Amino acid sequence: MASERQIAANRRNARKSTGPRSGAGSKRASRNAYRHGLTLSITSTAAFAKQRDKLARKIAGNTDDAITLECALQIAQAELELARVRRAKFALIERASAFGELDPPQLTAAGFIRLLNAVLRDRDIESIDASATMPSQEPDRSAEAVRRVLPELRQLDRYERRAAAQRDRAVLNLSVGACSASLMANSPHIHQATLARAQVVSGSEQHRPRLRGAPASSDPQGTKK
Amino acid sequence: MRRNELALLPKLPLLITESAEEFDALRDAFEQEIKPRGIIEQMYVHDICSIVWEVVRLRRCKVVIINSAFRSALEELLQRLLRDPGQFLYDEQLKEQAQDLAHAWFTDAEAKKQVSETLSRFNLDESAIEGEAIRRSSADLELLDRMLTSLESRRNKALVCVAEYRANLAHRLRESADRIIDGKGVLRLEHPSSKGPTAA
Repeated sequence: MASERQIAANRRNARKSTGPRSGAGSKRASRNAYRHGLTLSITSTAAFAKQRDKLARKIAGNTDDAITLECALQIAQAELELARVRRAKFALIERASAFGELDPPQLTAAGFIRLLNAVLRDRDIESIDASATMPSQEPDRSAEAVRRVLPELRQLDRYERRAAAQRDRAVLNLSVGACSASLMANSPHIHQATLARAQVVSGSEQHRPRLRGAPASSDPQGTKK
Repeated sequence: MRRNELALLPKLPLLITESAEEFDALRDAFEQEIKPRGIIEQMYVHDICSIVWEVVRLRRCKVVIINSAFRSALEELLQRLLRDPGQFLYDEQLKEQAQDLAHAWFTDAEAKKQVSETLSRFNLDESAIEGEAIRRSSADLELLDRMLTSLESRRNKALVCVAEYRANLAHRLRESADRIIDGKGVLRLEHPSSKGPTAA
């Protein structure tokens, strides 16, 4: 068991480690978990929101039905997120192709000593250029770039699959009208397996965006009048 | 109509080595096969096309990874095969000899013959070089294979989704058509037999 002195020392030490205190420190710490930003919603930018709304209008057609619009919006959002992940994958490959690696080279202790010696002896500083280790000709260069970013591409694949699954669910909802009880009542012969899947996913309220200007459908089953 | 729909869909970015014309040709081929109607089917065709494009890209990369491991694989193999009994494996002279021969193997027919002879002394052929190259790049190949499997399963799922979407649309259209036909506003033709019994 800790003595009184140890407890007092622990308390004193704990007071020293209370996280960032300055505004800049808090701001920096708030981005500690930030890696690629693919979990952020694309609606955070106005340009994406505009593109999404345009696509959603095209999917929904001339209807003013709030439920159909909502399904169309989910499809459009998932489709644009899918495109965003693809662009991120492309950017990684292009970056690796141009620079040979994703991160700038880190200065190791041995590297620092070499650098110091070169400065002290007034010699030319030799830097290891990662792009020099890339094949000079295509398509070998692009293939090598893909090889170098494979772990990152594999991570992005997870986000791509998630966006595709969200889109597929939304299309299913739209096509069988799982959001709309009336539509289901009028289509009793819909493929049984599809219907079962739609019923399972229709309960999911997550990632349900709203089309700007469209009425909110707080009553997806259409029970309220 | 099709052009309007395509303009709304986000474009797939292509690498500098990839041709936009080839991508368009691939999409046209898919469109001829699937014959998409409406933006949603067009979206799925675009998705399937993008997936296939990426599969081709990764397969191309797989070949290049194996090919680029050939030289180091041959060096490694020759270093083992050229070693005399009792000679140290990491002998500098042996290493240089293997490096020179491996380098010459790509351009010099004589060196190629010498390598073949060396391999045949141990009942091996050039497939041993390929095997070693694959072994050396197995970590990358495994990652590539996982990505290819994931892409292929997504492509299959997208195809299933198109089929389901069409089937559901067809059912809804049939239901709507039936309702209109059965509706009061439509004239019904009466069958002669439904008028009741007639005198013989």
